Amino acid sequence: MVSIQYSSPASPVGHADPGTAAPARTAGQTAAGSAAAPGRQRITLKVNGTEHTLDVEPNVILLDALREILGLHGTKKGCDHGQCGACTVHINGRSMNSCLLLAVMQQNVEITTIEGLAQSAGFEQGQHPVQQAFLEHDAYQCGYCTAGQMMTAAAVINEGNVEGDDVSLREAMSGNICRCGAYKNILEAVQSARARMTGEG
Amino acid sequence: MRGFEFEQADDVQQAINRHGSSDALIAGGTTLLDLVKLDVMQPEKVVDVSRLPLKRIETLEDGRLKVGALVSNTELAKHEIVMRDYPVLSEALLSGASTGLRNMASTGGNVMQRTRCPYFRDPAMPCNKREPGTGCSAIEGINRNHAVLGTSEHCIATHPSDMCVGMVAAGATVVVEGSQGVREIPFEEYHLLPGETPEQEHDLLAGELITHVILDPPRGGGQSYLKLRDRASYEFALASCAAIVNLEGDRISEARVAMGGVATKPWRATAAEEALKGQPATRETFERAAEAVMQDAVAYSHNGYKITLGKQAIVRALRDATAAARA
Amino acid sequence: MTTETQKPQRVDGTLTSIGQKKPRIDGTLKLTGGADYAADRNLPNQTWGYPVSSTIAKGRLVALELDEALAMPGVLDIFHHDNFDKLSRSPNDFAAANKVGELRLPFEDNEIYYHGQYIALVVADTFEHARAAARKVRAQYEKSDDQLTDILALDSGQGDLPGEDVPGDASSRGDADSAFESASIQLDQRYSIAHENHSVMEMHASVAQWENDMLTVYESSQGVVFQRNALAKIFGIPQEKVTVISHFIGSGFGSKLFMWPHAVMTSVAARRLGRPVKTVVPRELEYLNTGYRPTSLQRVRLGADDSGKLLSIHHDGCNETSPAGLHDDSVNGATPSMYACDNVAVTNRLVTVNKGTPTSMRAPGEASGAFALETALDELAVKLDMDPLALRHKNFADRDPAADLPWSSNHLKECWDNAAQRFGWNKRNPTPGAMKDGDEIIGYGMATQSWEAMRQHCSARFGFRDDGTLLVACGTQDIGTGTYTIVAQTASEMTGVPIEMIDVRLGDSSLPSGPLSGGSFATATVLPAVSAAMKEALAELKTLATAEGGVFENVDQDSITLRDGRLVSGDNSIEIAELLRQNRIGLVDGEASTKPGDEQDQYSFRSFGAVFVEVRWDPGISRLRVARICSTIDIGRAINPLTATNQVEGSIVMGMGMGLFEQIEYDAHGYPYNNSLADYIVPVNADMPQIEVELLDYPDYLRNEFGARGVGEIGLTGVAAAISNAVYNATGKRIRDMPISIEKLLAS
Repeated sequence: MVSIQYSSPASPVGHADPGTAAPARTAGQTAAGSAAAPGRQRITLKVNGTEHTLDVEPNVILLDALREILGLHGTKKGCDHGQCGACTVHINGRSMNSCLLLAVMQQNVEITTIEGLAQSAGFEQGQHPVQQAFLEHDAYQCGYCTAGQMMTAAAVINEGNVEGDDVSLREAMSGNICRCGAYKNILEAVQSARARMTGEG
Repeated sequence: MRGFEFEQADDVQQAINRHGSSDALIAGGTTLLDLVKLDVMQPEKVVDVSRLPLKRIETLEDGRLKVGALVSNTELAKHEIVMRDYPVLSEALLSGASTGLRNMASTGGNVMQRTRCPYFRDPAMPCNKREPGTGCSAIEGINRNHAVLGTSEHCIATHPSDMCVGMVAAGATVVVEGSQGVREIPFEEYHLLPGETPEQEHDLLAGELITHVILDPPRGGGQSYLKLRDRASYEFALASCAAIVNLEGDRISEARVAMGGVATKPWRATAAEEALKGQPATRETFERAAEAVMQDAVAYSHNGYKITLGKQAIVRALRDATAAARA
Repeated sequence: MTTETQKPQRVDGTLTSIGQKKPRIDGTLKLTGGADYAADRNLPNQTWGYPVSSTIAKGRLVALELDEALAMPGVLDIFHHDNFDKLSRSPNDFAAANKVGELRLPFEDNEIYYHGQYIALVVADTFEHARAAARKVRAQYEKSDDQLTDILALDSGQGDLPGEDVPGDASSRGDADSAFESASIQLDQRYSIAHENHSVMEMHASVAQWENDMLTVYESSQGVVFQRNALAKIFGIPQEKVTVISHFIGSGFGSKLFMWPHAVMTSVAARRLGRPVKTVVPRELEYLNTGYRPTSLQRVRLGADDSGKLLSIHHDGCNETSPAGLHDDSVNGATPSMYACDNVAVTNRLVTVNKGTPTSMRAPGEASGAFALETALDELAVKLDMDPLALRHKNFADRDPAADLPWSSNHLKECWDNAAQRFGWNKRNPTPGAMKDGDEIIGYGMATQSWEAMRQHCSARFGFRDDGTLLVACGTQDIGTGTYTIVAQTASEMTGVPIEMIDVRLGDSSLPSGPLSGGSFATATVLPAVSAAMKEALAELKTLATAEGGVFENVDQDSITLRDGRLVSGDNSIEIAELLRQNRIGLVDGEASTKPGDEQDQYSFRSFGAVFVEVRWDPGISRLRVARICSTIDIGRAINPLTATNQVEGSIVMGMGMGLFEQIEYDAHGYPYNNSLADYIVPVNADMPQIEVELLDYPDYLRNEFGARGVGEIGLTGVAAAISNAVYNATGKRIRDMPISIEKLLAS
């Protein structure tokens, strides 16, 4: 049954069809011991706390490596040119546009994607306060820019070097375009999560 | 996006040795990878300089501030000395790009930013900057975003950086290093006017790389960066102005004015500075300064509004800088 | 109004789920990266397609040099007009649910109709290889220099609009010409809306796979049934052999209603290679190959008496269309219904330009038309020295003057007054430039909002499972509007089963046929089918329960009701799951189809609203900002006020884009200048004004038993006009061509 989003209504799962998550490019992930093929480099990426060894050509972009090789589809491609923010991930805790990062340059750093956001902040069970706030405030519609919105918000709140007023937070969130126009709710969610995370009302 | 070889440089010498004329250096990657994906840049080899030890910000004995080429735009903008002594630069940095891009983009990379002219960014279109001798599509085409200062019949593309405008106002030196050694280039001379050779964008010789930008000793006074654009954020300037005003009583003892969005390079508005020096800090003085800058402006079919907008940016930035100087 | 006395045909009397602010049931998936969008799909043995497109606007493709590209690493094949499969065009029939975005098939011939038109598809083993090889394809063209991309340049500025008349679009009542000539107050103005692009965040994508003779396409689609039907026609195979899946869509706004050529070329490539192919339309081609709101030029003539009573309305429209496919935006479709006026005439014209095919973009036609009509009314109010709100009250239509039918439900007057009161319209100074605050000049403007409340044919399936969960399935989609959630709310309301126990399946053409997610008709269309299917399933349950040996043996089925997941009769009741378990049945389900009935001929169905805008104009730096937007909307009953309000707020943001920023520009060579997300300016978070939306709650039970009319489009209508009217109030400058860019403000 290809259409299932919710195998059991009580515990929704996204990938009832294994084809969704299965990386198509098996060539990308390495067999231990063998050498990288000509033109490829063997690299290790630490994503959401797990190390992955893969062989990639030097022009492979981190965003494509995450999505197409490692099967982490939560990070989205909206423009591929740093013009929308949908691909935002954390590199050592800082928000960055993964569409403009080379995979081969991201070794020896901690890469966090939306799949690992809660865990990276110590929420082994359940969701990150930003995720909770986005749910409660309906801070999304289609959901496509949402991972990027939340990754930016989580980093901005965590770093604490942006003032907490609405104008400053709107500015800090302006690199994440939401074409559905859910900006009002996004701001409310960011403020709500910020209050929870910083203890400031 | 074509394939390329990839090498990592561990120190400046390696970086110098490893990159040839058809290669590219990568630090933050925000310009390079964007343009490689578009096929506008086609390096045979990309040399990773992101690990070079050029990430410090330090005050020199002569009072200048030495900024490593790999300091990110965020770090520079949020550095306490920059926020305190060079607020115009901090504001300029924070008005550019987005949270994520500023975390990636480096100081050296920002100096090396390429124009956003859509014709430059599409390899199918004639462009003298990208392919010398093919012609300028913008002059006959749409030029709403293009320059009115420093243009030539071969190119009217703007330099897109905000940071560079702040640095021109603050005064700075670009430090480059190559096989011939270290050179220090005044910031204003680093970027070149398009003239007959729009493909030559800066005074960087083959094999050289930027290692630092050194900011002049703090000028004090009041400082302001004003960026005008269609939407409120995440857009390149249509016109911007960086202003530093030093007052003696009600008169301007010295002023620094630089402009972005209206010129083919980060634009030092010396005509404005001369018009301001020794004059009362009034709206009339600011307007005379703005007129002095824009009297040489050349408008094309769609960008005539930038002459007005540029003047407005100057007048308002000077007003705000003056208010800051009095505060 | 008679509708107020009608009761919803719900089983239980009180509302516990419908009308409640429920978080989305698909929220956790969207917030954890678990929702599967089309391009997230990777299939075993999959390959990647990357398109190559024309760099001229008009002419002929003379030669393709492919040797270098074919020799690139990983390249499997390159498809183009010389080697492409011979296919049939889709009949392109909306009623038969096989309408497509662009009628012309990809690689149909070597004619070039527009810049960006696909000329080849490179397929390789990786995305990087496909893209690198695509850059090596060289094309030679025979270029024509008589391309046309700017319809505004054709306009003489007076008299008739340019273009070919579309006789079928014309309508009239009374004698608009004579009434205009004799009116004491006359207005004759031209307006335009620039070419806008949907700029959806998720680029269009297809992942196509053939298994034997069965085609499956994972697509970002607002209409899986339409695409399934169109693909079947194009490939000449039965519908049963095609499945289109679109579980999640990164927004559409109309650009994903109908299939575009990338899906066809990807499907052909998959069949030829015998491997799945994934093609994601590159962002720069999104702007050229997946539809857009066409540039429209409009002429409005209003005649009124000295009291402001409208005596005559002429509304002439003209929009651009494409040689590759026809699109008529019908910008004045709503005009004859909007105000009480005895003499009305509308006409439409088309101009064929060298661009890809335009399509529906959120509130298609009406959003453009409302800009012209509502701006013209503001201009009329100035001529009359009359409050613009009072002018609208004066001309309120208490029945639909176009159809000469009563409204099913109309609370426009309350919308006007509610929004005006919340906004503080009474503080408005009508003299331009009179309201100031520091460097800024404040302007107030308003407009009426409206969208037709349609309903379509729909089928759905409803099942009760032996574990207490429900299954609800429909071949419609949730494009971010909240369809998953409101279907679950409706099922919960009807059965008393908690929302967490409801399994909603959408976005699959193999499910019972559902509607497009567009036109704001999905809610009004789908929920009645869900209800009817539930009743079918319930009848089965009652039969089971009253069977010999059953818990309700000998009980009259009509006495059995459904409450809290239980069948109830008198003092007896049984949990439905228990009933199924006792009978060793896993699932009892029912399927039903519904469609609108006679009410279509007895009433006019239309939603109304009002929008008020405050702008702030800083003339010293030519900076225009929207500071506040206040909108009150009557959409019948909002099934979920949380998601419905979000829809209106989002529409308002898109309306700000229309009013302030959005415009795809072509240069004199037919070259698209700003086809990127950096150069095509859409609003960002920092542009946000204070937005206050209020939804009135008057269920429209003539539309359906739930009283819901739909909400996706209406919030966008009127916003650009209200902004433009506010700009006039601030500046005295009347900008009649959207968007209101800095240079227009400086020039006027």
